[in-house]
Amino acid sequence: MDRRLMVVLSAAESADYSFADEYNGPPLPYDIPRAVPIDVDRIPLAAVAPASAGLPDLPVVHPLPSPSSSPLKKPPPTHATPAPPLPVASPTSVIENHASMDRPGAEVSGALGSFGFPDRSTDLSEVVDSSGAIGFSDELGNGAAWSNEMMPNRLSTESALSSEFSFRSSASGDEDEAVALQAKKALLVTFQESGQSSCSMSPAVGVTPRARSEDLDMKIIKRACHRCLKRSRFTEKETCLVCDAKYCSGCVLRAMGSMPEGRKCISCIGSPILESNRGRLGRSSRVLKKLLSSREGCSCPPNLKPGFYWYDKVSGYWGKEGHKPDRIITPHLNVGGILMRNASNGNTGILINGREITKVELQMLKWAGVHCAGNPHFWLNADGTYLEEGQKNVKGQIWEKPIMKLLCPVLSLPFPSKVANPSGEEVNNLFHRAVPDCFDTKALQKLLLLGHHESGTSTIFKQAKFLYSSVPFSEDEREDIKLMIQTSIYNYLAILLEGRERFEEESLDEQRDKQHLESSGDVAFDKQNKVTEYSISPRLRAFSDWLLKIMASGNLEAIFPAATREYAPLVEELWKDSAIQATYSRRNELQSLPSYASYFLERVIDISRAEYEPSDMDILCAEGINSSNGVTYTDFQFPCLAYVGSSIDDDDQQEALLRYQLIRVHTKGLGENCKWLGMFEDVRIVMFCVAITDYDEYYEDANGTVRNKMMESKRIFEGIAGHPTFEQMDFLLILSKIDLLEQKMDMAPLTLCDWFGDYNPVVSYHPQNKNRRGAQIDATKAQQAFHYVAVKFKRLFFSITGRKLYVTQANGLDGDSVDAALRYAREIIKWEERLVCDIHESMYSTEPSSYSH
Amino acid sequence: MTRVHGTSRAAAPAPFTPSAPLNTVLARPSRTVAAALPRLPFRRPLLLSVTSLSPNARSVAPPPSFLQSHSPQCGDEELGEEFLIFGYWAWLMSFSELKDRHVAATATVNTLRDRLNQKRQQLLDTDVAGYAKSQGRTAVNFCSTDLVCCRTLQGHTGKVYSLDWTSEKNRIVSASQDGRLIIWNALTSQKTHAIKLPCAWVMTCAFAPNGHSVACGGLDSECSIFNLNSQVDRYGNIPVSRVLTGHKGYVSSCEFVRDQDTRLITGSGDQTCVLWDVTTGQRISVFGGEFPSGHTSDVLSISINSSNSNIFVSGSCDATARLWDTRIASRAIRTYQGHYGDVNTVKFFPDGQRFGTGSDDGTCRLFDMRTGHQLQVYSQQQANNDQDIPIVTSIAFSISGRLLFAGYSNGDCYVWDTLLAEVVVNLGKLQNSHEGRISCLGLSADGSALCTGSWDKNLKIWAFGGHRKVI
Repeated sequence: MDRRLMVVLSAAESADYSFADEYNGPPLPYDIPRAVPIDVDRIPLAAVAPASAGLPDLPVVHPLPSPSSSPLKKPPPTHATPAPPLPVASPTSVIENHASMDRPGAEVSGALGSFGFPDRSTDLSEVVDSSGAIGFSDELGNGAAWSNEMMPNRLSTESALSSEFSFRSSASGDEDEAVALQAKKALLVTFQESGQSSCSMSPAVGVTPRARSEDLDMKIIKRACHRCLKRSRFTEKETCLVCDAKYCSGCVLRAMGSMPEGRKCISCIGSPILESNRGRLGRSSRVLKKLLSSREGCSCPPNLKPGFYWYDKVSGYWGKEGHKPDRIITPHLNVGGILMRNASNGNTGILINGREITKVELQMLKWAGVHCAGNPHFWLNADGTYLEEGQKNVKGQIWEKPIMKLLCPVLSLPFPSKVANPSGEEVNNLFHRAVPDCFDTKALQKLLLLGHHESGTSTIFKQAKFLYSSVPFSEDEREDIKLMIQTSIYNYLAILLEGRERFEEESLDEQRDKQHLESSGDVAFDKQNKVTEYSISPRLRAFSDWLLKIMASGNLEAIFPAATREYAPLVEELWKDSAIQATYSRRNELQSLPSYASYFLERVIDISRAEYEPSDMDILCAEGINSSNGVTYTDFQFPCLAYVGSSIDDDDQQEALLRYQLIRVHTKGLGENCKWLGMFEDVRIVMFCVAITDYDEYYEDANGTVRNKMMESKRIFEGIAGHPTFEQMDFLLILSKIDLLEQKMDMAPLTLCDWFGDYNPVVSYHPQNKNRRGAQIDATKAQQAFHYVAVKFKRLFFSITGRKLYVTQANGLDGDSVDAALRYAREIIKWEERLVCDIHESMYSTEPSSYSH
Repeated sequence: MTRVHGTSRAAAPAPFTPSAPLNTVLARPSRTVAAALPRLPFRRPLLLSVTSLSPNARSVAPPPSFLQSHSPQCGDEELGEEFLIFGYWAWLMSFSELKDRHVAATATVNTLRDRLNQKRQQLLDTDVAGYAKSQGRTAVNFCSTDLVCCRTLQGHTGKVYSLDWTSEKNRIVSASQDGRLIIWNALTSQKTHAIKLPCAWVMTCAFAPNGHSVACGGLDSECSIFNLNSQVDRYGNIPVSRVLTGHKGYVSSCEFVRDQDTRLITGSGDQTCVLWDVTTGQRISVFGGEFPSGHTSDVLSISINSSNSNIFVSGSCDATARLWDTRIASRAIRTYQGHYGDVNTVKFFPDGQRFGTGSDDGTCRLFDMRTGHQLQVYSQQQANNDQDIPIVTSIAFSISGRLLFAGYSNGDCYVWDTLLAEVVVNLGKLQNSHEGRISCLGLSADGSALCTGSWDKNLKIWAFGGHRKVI
């Protein structure tokens, strides 16, 4: 059977409330029907449809926006079963409904009142039948809910339709289900009788606002959600314009419903807003945006009249049952079931998406140039492309021909509205990257961490692993790192030994010079004197030669892990040798010895043993992350800030759920000219790491030329910033090793680097100042340098891309600073997202007045 | 140690002609190095073409071994010896001095290389196209229906980076940035397997000759082997059957050795190529790296000779292609220069005596394997302004070698006539062509179909249509 969709149309548009004039005529023998004065505060909410057991899907209650109350008809105190429907309707609506019932052809008299009549069995059955319809309106309401949110004060049919949706919609699918379940539960719950005479039947909020605010005001702690009573200071809440009740994002849709009058609790609908809240009218709200944006709206909703419809999900065709298509609505809405062959009662034998088309459509296809010989079966997509069933190749585009736009109305066939469709596409094109992510809150946000060799990327990466993951490094990874550390220890030793050789020769030369000065040419004496403080025993010399040779041939890894077993005692002996210690004390003269080498060298005896287990600190300090030097990544979530009093973080629960992926790539791994950067086009932000202490450090490249590391970082940065893949990417520059800068600034001025030649810091010459707050002045000196370097990079970035560069500082060994840097990156992503969302949403807006940005 | 030979080193700018210091070295067996090295009778190394070109080369530096144009059949013995000499040298001098010498030697080598190229240019008086024209050959003529896109393989959600055909059946493996390998049946365009990769940044994939397993590699610096017949785990993924670790840079290219399911050659961003034993996961030999005759930049592509599977060629970011013999690791048999940009792709000509290259400079070139001559350049003459020359991303030869298929970064895919160096047809301009950069292409084993993969996430299969027979 083709899915029949019975549309319950709200009659709200015709519900202009008629009030009877007071009867002034002569007395009558019968009772005059009288309207009970309306208490504005008591808003009757829609009644619940009777749900007989076995019904899978219960209709959800619509809030009634008409102010009235019914003191006459009280609901029974309790209902054992929800089956009997509840007489909740104001006299006015009763009159209204009676009137409408008398009208012929009016099957349903509006969603508001019709559910509530126990005696209207036909209505009931219809309501029961219409469970599908309600699901339908649920979906279709999306778009309406959007517009509703945008125009809080507009009451429209769509808003009434969309009410169920609003109860159910929620950011995530799981939650959605949970909410839906709860809504169902709420329906089955026996109706409460409030202390006051009105029977307000809200499925979600069971008590009137007054009652609630009265008894809750005492209990509810400030800033807690009024519905779930959970208290969390930092989650955003939405406030009712009338009673100032606050709801967290999880509850707001249930507490406020579809918000036909704007942000009011369901129970406050109809009440005037608090004057103090007037300023907030029309402001768009981030909570709502997040909640509602999780679903895409129906951008072209159909005009709904009561009846049975068919809907073609693939192409968006929409029509009355047994008739040709009526319009083309948004495709892929989750409405209805499988399209039946006889949905539009066609007899041409040609199928489009499984529906046999009518003669008129066949005519249209012919005009569109589609070959219809042999009664083919087509698949028609929403964009107008069509293929034959079972084939892969697109055969053509139906809407391509300009004449189609003219012909379709002639045949009274729908033509896809260019206004709605392409605008959506355009939006998607404009924010190609950002929009899907910003809607899909569960998407993985990728952060790319790049940097020159030894710029601190690996330390930051490892620190992030320690910070955010429960098992930072697996056994295998630890084993790998252990091997890496042990390899590097041999590497450092080799550097020392090389230095030793140099120092030995130097001191020998000195001695020779001395000898020449003393002019005593005694050869024997000469021989004796050849032993300097840098000389080592022949045994160690052999080991030293061997190690240097291995280093020169470059396959140091080949000797591992055997080396740890074999040479550990030798390493110990070597380290304890006075010559090595003497060399080690002159380590400042060994350029190639990295700064953190001493951390390991001082514990070389422990480390060179086979049973050595690297500590967390060792892992942090080690060079690199794994021995293969490949791309590494880790998934993580930012934990909620546990400590109170930190920076006010307006995390939502949903945002805490956002998953991030930190990807670290060694720039060497990207190849020359960063050839493989194109693989990272889907990252959200590029974090480029520069060690700020690099300005006076040099390294030797493959050709043997000595280069400044800062200049090299700059060169790589230029290449990456200007890479076409990252044309619209946000960049965050992390200046790392900031803690070492302070010490270094005293020894080497920043101007050592050519690029920083114009660094001219403001120096305070007040001696008292210096004495009193020496430490502070030092700190500011480093800060000054940091700001200077940051500005240098910002200018460089601007000159390349014309965009803004974000800069932060970090110290890889300090967890807090890495955390801060990564959170900063998240803020940038969020900020950009919001920017895009704002533009996005203003494209959807139809009424400029609904915004005040 | 250096002290002892201080005097001889001082006079050492040209210590290589007299063999005295080396003999002294050999006479000192007590040292570790000498003990570690096998004792071989010393013979003078070969200074071949270099010497003939530059009579003063001898006096300047130790022999730059990667310059020597040995014949490909050059034996192990000589090579090993050359390496030994280098080792002795390293041992003779202190480390820093050695470095200085190396820099000087590199400079010399560069000048010599230039001279060699000049000489080569002088000797090259014609190219393939010129000769073919003089012989009255005419270009292949294609009409638009001769080569048509007959299948579009849709299914990847990311850029396609690599593809490979099986050797016997019509199956294709493709690797995409969505982190999946998909195995397609090219005839029915059905997917038979989809393999989720542990690392999404994959660059290359290859079918094993028996068609039962596939290999892939990427930015994770590992080469992973999947057995298509293995049990899927509970998430429906095929588990990795073997991981080949050892590269220090990304794995840019991998290819199984023909007829040997257990041998695999990879090219990597760490400037080396490695021959692997798949069953044990061990490296059999490493080509290049620290040894002076290897690539000086990232290896981007490799191709194994179809007639002699011991020989393979590699293309690199250093703008050269190098020829290797798997039995002789540690030195390249020959280096081919000519390109002005990274050599992105190399492919052996079907007869195995020539190979083609494609480069960042927008040209394809055909090299003769033995002589090292560049036979032909394939480039569009009407090159537009200099900055946006589309780069060649991938090439393939037709079964006869008459046609050269070349994919370009702008989405073009030229079919060159290899004889006359003319573009026969541009697949990028045909109907149903790709919308993005052509990233990879490959010819089926029987030569009847061409598969192209693109950054538009699709693969397309092109076949000779109508009455046109396969060439």
